[in-house]
Amino acid sequence: MDDTYEQEWREGYTPATAMEEASRCLLCQDAPCSQDCPASTDPAKFIRSIRFLNEEGAVETIFENNALGDICARVCPTERYCQKGCSRTDIDHPIDIKGLQRYATDYAYDISMKVLEAGPDTGHSIAIVGSGPAALQAAASLRCFGHAVDIYERQPTPGGMLVHGIPAYRLPDDIVNRAISRVKELGATIHCDVSIGTGPNDDITIGQLLGKHDAVLLDPGLSEGKMLPIFKDNDNVKLAVDFLDEVRSSKGTMKVPDNVLVIGGGDVAMDVSTTLKKLGVPTVTDVIWECSCEFLASKEELDGAREMGVTLIDGYEPKEASGHQVTFKHRVIDSTLTISADLIILAVGQRADLDHLGVDLDLKGVEMAQEGPATSDPHIFVTGDIAQGDKTVVWAVRRGKEAAGAIDASLKGGE
Amino acid sequence: MKQMDLSIDFLGVHFENPFCLSSSPVGNCYEMCAKAFDTGWGGIVYKTLHTDDFVVDEVSPRFDELTKEATPFVAFKNMEQIAEHPLAQDLADITRLKKEHPNKIIIASIMGQNESNWTELARKVEEAGADMIEMNLSCPQMTSHAMGSDVGENPDLCCTCCAAVKRGSKLPVLAKMTPNITDMTEVAKACMEGGADGISAINTVKSIANVDLDRHIGMPIVNGKSAVSGLSGKAVKPISLRFIQQMRADPDLKDLPISGIGGIETWRDAAEYILMGATTLQVTTAVMQYGYRIVEDMKDGLSHYMRSQGVKSLSELVGLAVPNTLLADSLDRDFKVYPVIDTDKCIHCGRCYISCYDGAHQAIQWDPEERKVSIDKDKCVGCHLCRLVCPVHAISMDKPEMKPGRKGDPDKIVIEPKDVMYNLK
Repeated sequence: MDDTYEQEWREGYTPATAMEEASRCLLCQDAPCSQDCPASTDPAKFIRSIRFLNEEGAVETIFENNALGDICARVCPTERYCQKGCSRTDIDHPIDIKGLQRYATDYAYDISMKVLEAGPDTGHSIAIVGSGPAALQAAASLRCFGHAVDIYERQPTPGGMLVHGIPAYRLPDDIVNRAISRVKELGATIHCDVSIGTGPNDDITIGQLLGKHDAVLLDPGLSEGKMLPIFKDNDNVKLAVDFLDEVRSSKGTMKVPDNVLVIGGGDVAMDVSTTLKKLGVPTVTDVIWECSCEFLASKEELDGAREMGVTLIDGYEPKEASGHQVTFKHRVIDSTLTISADLIILAVGQRADLDHLGVDLDLKGVEMAQEGPATSDPHIFVTGDIAQGDKTVVWAVRRGKEAAGAIDASLKGGE
Repeated sequence: MKQMDLSIDFLGVHFENPFCLSSSPVGNCYEMCAKAFDTGWGGIVYKTLHTDDFVVDEVSPRFDELTKEATPFVAFKNMEQIAEHPLAQDLADITRLKKEHPNKIIIASIMGQNESNWTELARKVEEAGADMIEMNLSCPQMTSHAMGSDVGENPDLCCTCCAAVKRGSKLPVLAKMTPNITDMTEVAKACMEGGADGISAINTVKSIANVDLDRHIGMPIVNGKSAVSGLSGKAVKPISLRFIQQMRADPDLKDLPISGIGGIETWRDAAEYILMGATTLQVTTAVMQYGYRIVEDMKDGLSHYMRSQGVKSLSELVGLAVPNTLLADSLDRDFKVYPVIDTDKCIHCGRCYISCYDGAHQAIQWDPEERKVSIDKDKCVGCHLCRLVCPVHAISMDKPEMKPGRKGDPDKIVIEPKDVMYNLK
């Protein structure tokens, strides 16, 4: 593993090693991998294409289904999805589907291969609020249907969690930029530094967008970190989303103290812990509420944190905090743990920043109460992490496609 | 991306794509052929028909495979003969298939036991609705010596049989060659003289693939004994390409229409056959190993290849590599090209050193302390064994140099493949 923050942490396959991996694939009947992707990727088909020297065909299979195929190839927790049922596991270990997808999509970039094409102009126009992965996928799908797309992003750069949340060693800027270029080349327009809503810092209201567009798709994302009451107003505490964003903006040059405590056990907590090690922090301790058998983080993320030397402590819940010190109690056994650290980072969940939007969304927790992209307003749709489902990029892709499909159907219904 | 038009005309018959099942277990009944058509195959050579007086009585087990390291099916040995159904049943299947798939091509493979038999079969398959006939003159595991490769090794018999088939049918006729001879051109000429319209090449190569070391019997073991039978699959591709090139290069067989067979499993194999002079292609072994679905990547890959070559029709590619294959004594021997090692890519395994020492000219030096290799140009003959064995493709070709006293411009010498088989750089 390369130790720098900006260097992609996993090596890609060469043609020869990709063929070795593809040759491990058993080419199953009714392949389980192709039935388990939230975004409906067909790994059995693209791996077979690699196996039979048809790399271009593999690229088409991936991108025709998923406009962010190269991004999923780097960040997808595949052991939860396509690799879960891999028949090869009964022999040794599952096929590295994500690695082969990366090989194919990198090949596409190397030969400047374009797969998606804009559909014939329908005269309809859609505004998308937010530019995270679901928004980008929805934009690509809507352009393929032939609808005009304007994306409004309040940050100076598009990408949402792809650029603010996921660390650069897992998802380098170049890869995100390729995906954004892909969406732009399809004809979508991205307006950055434009905030949508009715708040004092907002530029355009959703009502105004609806005056110019046939539909509005909201992808606000879960951009705000959650605070735990015991840490409120503690100057030594940072929220994970803010920390990851700061590191990424500083291109990995941010100064961090020598002893950092991370609280949380999901992928975001692993991202924070591994990022800290890559920034050179000698002591990184991650205390996790779940027991090790219940860990939420993906295997790759956990392995990455362990390889970097992060201390993982499982089963403890934070009970008291004062200044630099946090006291935890084990959830099962009678045990108390007190840790002092220079900095405490909370990775205990995220929520959406919706109040300023000026729309009434029926939420249950951080998600929509109802499944699917529709809202009570027939012209307003939602996608991304506020829709129901896993908070992964592959789910964002699925929801982006669903939203595009729902909008397309509603526009056709209105004709 | 939209697939290119892969259609091609062969012996006056229009194929929507050049990919056909070869006459074998993979095209043995209505259901199999219908599934193959639905999967995208352009044509099928239906498993060899014969008159009902020849009784097919097969052995069990009947297959064996040649492996190398972790790769199965490097070659495949099979003992199966020809169709096991009553003739009427297979003819009815052909009629139904053609009716339900009018745009697909059905080639009836037939095998007679005597002239009148060949004539009768030809007449019947035309009546059944076949588009073309392929004469099986080449099955190497027939239980009758009046059938199969025993006939195909004899030019006079081949000529007579072809004439008999032409008497029975007006359909275009392919004669399928056995590779178990030295010179295929002689047999091909005899077939064309007898009236055949084109050649299918090759049928399987007579073989013994493995021997059981405890029982001292070749494989597969059939109640304690074994027999020589036909080998197919990837390992026979080079043998087939050689025969096809030789036929196409023969002045008496110029532009010979050929259906290429032998070890085709990827679009690259297909493209190689087309460049060496095949117009249509036939596949069995890869289908037996992987299923009909392999045609999807073959069609798709061939389409991308056509686009990269800037051709609109596959026919533009047929035979392009034939004139570039010369006799060994005609090759340019005035230059030498040395290997060059990329030390950044080298992983210090020493495999090039071992192969060069034990298999070539001791021209690679090994530094055991540093685990580094270097090339001794005084000893190097430019054979490039090192480049072929390097596991990380760290060895490439340097610029060509003229041999001492030879004339020529080294900059104009073409050595580097533009697109090596599975570009491993």
